[in-house]
Amino acid sequence: MSAISLRELSVRVGTRNLVHGVTLDVPEGTWCTVIGPNGAGKTTLVEAVAGLRAIASGDVSLLGESLASLSERSRARRVALVPQHPVVPAGMSVHDYVALGRTAYHGVLRAPRAEDYHVVESVLERVDLTDFRERDVVTLSGGERQRMVLARALAQSTSIMVLDEPTTGLDLRHQMNMLELLRREVDECGLTVLATLHDLTLAGQFADRLVLLDVGEVVLDGPAGEVIRSDELAKRYDMELRVMDVNGSDVVVPVRDTQRVRPARSTDQ
Amino acid sequence: MLVLVFAAVGGLVIGPTPIGFSRVVGDVLSHVGLGHSTLTPLQSVIVWQLRAPRMVLGLLAGTMLAVAGGTYQGVFRNPLADPYLLGVAAGAGLGATIAIADVGGGLSTPSWTPLLAFAGALVAVGVTWAIGGRGLRTSTSSLILAGVAVASLFTSAQTFLQQQASVDSLARVYIWLLGSLASASWSSVTLVLPYVVICTVICLVAARALDVMSVGEDESRSLGLAVGKVRLLVVAAASLGTAAVVSAVGLIGFVGIVVPHVVRLLVGTSYRRILPISVIAGAAFLVVADTIARTVMAPSELPLGVVTALVGAPVFVFILSLRGRVTM
Repeated sequence: MSAISLRELSVRVGTRNLVHGVTLDVPEGTWCTVIGPNGAGKTTLVEAVAGLRAIASGDVSLLGESLASLSERSRARRVALVPQHPVVPAGMSVHDYVALGRTAYHGVLRAPRAEDYHVVESVLERVDLTDFRERDVVTLSGGERQRMVLARALAQSTSIMVLDEPTTGLDLRHQMNMLELLRREVDECGLTVLATLHDLTLAGQFADRLVLLDVGEVVLDGPAGEVIRSDELAKRYDMELRVMDVNGSDVVVPVRDTQRVRPARSTDQ
Repeated sequence: MLVLVFAAVGGLVIGPTPIGFSRVVGDVLSHVGLGHSTLTPLQSVIVWQLRAPRMVLGLLAGTMLAVAGGTYQGVFRNPLADPYLLGVAAGAGLGATIAIADVGGGLSTPSWTPLLAFAGALVAVGVTWAIGGRGLRTSTSSLILAGVAVASLFTSAQTFLQQQASVDSLARVYIWLLGSLASASWSSVTLVLPYVVICTVICLVAARALDVMSVGEDESRSLGLAVGKVRLLVVAAASLGTAAVVSAVGLIGFVGIVVPHVVRLLVGTSYRRILPISVIAGAAFLVVADTIARTVMAPSELPLGVVTALVGAPVFVFILSLRGRVTM
């Protein structure tokens, strides 16, 4: 069964159709990364899957259940979100922040139960933040903060996670660490991941499958190695790209064109 | 809690007519079957018909304003939010002005003032809601802007009526606008009590939801919180409770904004601690302020709003100077 199933999904923001007619199936326990130039509709797409954007037409199903029929709490037990720019509330401890991930289980009228605290402790350990549990969230570095946000999403104990540019603002080592953590959850715990990434090399190395989105429509959908090598990819980015094999891993290298300067596309979602 | 007890006892003991501490406490204990009262009948009337309802109304008003302020700050994620954000003050002010200035005739009896103030406050919040509440499930900014617009409209109408009013009416309008517990009675306590209890309980129960909402609207929703419903409920409760209190005691500033901030500095940013402690701190603060208001220039009284502002403004400036430490 598909963990995530999109059928002719269209999402309108204001007067603009940012996603239209997207059909996509993400099988359980796999990692699908959406790539594409700025303004392609990647963020809008994952936010729609997370239930944060009104659907203009089509349908989103999570584990066979239509998103429209799910209450907020039911939805939060199926899909967790790692936003691109998470709000980090000053004064809150790392433990309390991660414990927010259990809201869908104990509700807001009851205190977390022993089971909820057990999950939080376990997740803190998995992302190596146990020693930081009492720290104020604003005192964490970018890498620690991103692990904390991932920990909150893991504490939701969902089988689906959507991530919008989870490596934004991280240095190379922390980008790799973050994605390795996520890959481990996919391989060892059967997590289903739908992510957006700008870095084509990282996207190709960690995802099972890549979906190239442009102006709100799916252009390519296939195994990472195939999509990375497609001529269509370079065309959509409007530049020359080379794929090099480094120790068995694909590395995507943009080639500088010194003859002309192209104006960047202005739309950015 | 001890501060609250001292404030309450002080509210009964301190006043222009000196009645000894031990005699007041002895009288209080005699009501629960411990010992005998030594108060004269006149002193008993002063304590139980003048000071006690005033003290209890102060506790209720302080509680509601502080909790409503803290709740507004949480739900709007805005450190400058106070209970009057959505036009309650302007609406109540217009209602009270209509009554005191006797617009249309027949409204000059004292009972019309709280009634029209309450109605005005509810109308103002209702209009604000009608204009800005449509987008409330996704954003609060439209509601805040609608509150600003409605408050301006009601305030300008109020100013126009004040301009037309007699000098005597104008003086009474200003006294009302600055807030006072002087007209407190057991009947006003009875009227306000259910609103304060129910609305405070709703806000306290929502404290955990306010903590979740500290990560913003989208993330709260992704965590499973029905943000729109929670917002509607707590904004309605805080507004209704504030309207009830304002109709009884007039416009008392700074309690709703300063008390939650001081509490936040002391106990951290979790609304599960801020709101319950604001109940105690707000109640104690207002009773102490009222005790000061009615004693420092006895036998005349300072307007309560002047005292809360005199204390509240420096505290507020102090908090602003510590802006780096004030976190939401």
